[in-house]
Amino acid sequence: MFPKNKTALSSLVVLVFGVILFYIGTDGFQAFTAETARVNQLMDEKPKFPDVTLEDNNGKTYSFTEFEGKYVFITFLYTSCGTVCPELEVNMSEVYKRIPEKYIGQDIQFLSISFDPKRDTPKTLETYRKAFGSDGETWRMARIPKQMELESLLDRFGVIVIPDEYGNFAHNSAFYLVNPKGQLVEVMDYTLIEEAAERITEILESGGEE
Amino acid sequence: MMKSSVYGLLLLLVLMLPPAADFLESIMITHMHMQMPLLVISGIFMAKFFQNRFTGFFSKWNENGVPGILLFSIILVYWSLPRTMDEALTLTSVEVFKFISLPFLGGVPLRDSWPKLSSFWKHALIIFFTILFLALGWLYIWSPVQLCNNYLVIEQITLGWGFISTAFAMVIYLIYSYFMDFSKYE
Repeated sequence: MFPKNKTALSSLVVLVFGVILFYIGTDGFQAFTAETARVNQLMDEKPKFPDVTLEDNNGKTYSFTEFEGKYVFITFLYTSCGTVCPELEVNMSEVYKRIPEKYIGQDIQFLSISFDPKRDTPKTLETYRKAFGSDGETWRMARIPKQMELESLLDRFGVIVIPDEYGNFAHNSAFYLVNPKGQLVEVMDYTLIEEAAERITEILESGGEE
Repeated sequence: MMKSSVYGLLLLLVLMLPPAADFLESIMITHMHMQMPLLVISGIFMAKFFQNRFTGFFSKWNENGVPGILLFSIILVYWSLPRTMDEALTLTSVEVFKFISLPFLGGVPLRDSWPKLSSFWKHALIIFFTILFLALGWLYIWSPVQLCNNYLVIEQITLGWGFISTAFAMVIYLIYSYFMDFSKYE
């Protein structure tokens, strides 16, 4: 064997190793960021919304089972946030407007959940709700007063919240859709309003088959 | 000569100490632009040990240095994916792989390959990494999304500028080597 062929062979071995490494590391060239990997995993697992107590903008407290039998469209936010959250909520209101009216409140509930229960009291949430044109009924804003319950939910839905030194939080954002049985079925890009609205209408029209 | 290998091993062990690892990983740019290069450097130091131990292996299978430099490049590109950096923080297996792959699959082959490479390959490699770093810098600075879940966006932007500055330094080197005749000094 010629020495030259040997290095060609070892180069080939190295290349194959590289392809395998990248294939495994990115779930088959699917997910190059941990966020994509997270979403893919959630769609596979379809985790159940844990039994938590919510306190909404009207000061009412109830368990999540209140929404049983309906689809629930969820976003996670905190009201002191000046960057992503307002955009997230504006986009949520756009989705809300695009869903046929007959489904609103009947088959689908909109819910914004704050992960900053200390500052986001029902009063703060009430002010915030008005700013985004939520009616407080078919689209509610709520906090989860018990830290333990809040954490179990964030953990199960893969919401990563990192507090920074200025009292803000860095967090990942998405639209979440929970089915009438309380399982997470869709995690959607919050910047793609049309796509999200279409997908949800489709699911609602099919009568909750999916 | 074996002394350098011992120093390399010591460097690796220090980097593996939980306080040192936690500290470097707490900031995005020190994670990628200090811890990772230091791991490669520890491998460069340790390379002599492996070269002496497996002389035949290196001279046979890495005769022209190309396979080794290919392996080094693959490992480096792999660790510049936003996902691997995130997972190194959350998954122990990925973290362990980082401490093994960067020194032994990055640093060791780099040391063995570099002197064997022709100046064409050396320049090709530097140009490749310049383009890659510019692209990564662009991605981290102007990407509208947060690429890593474990770091803040501001840290991501800092890292982006770190990539751009490194790329800039490599461009200066390339210009310099174009006008200079290094053989006069060798």
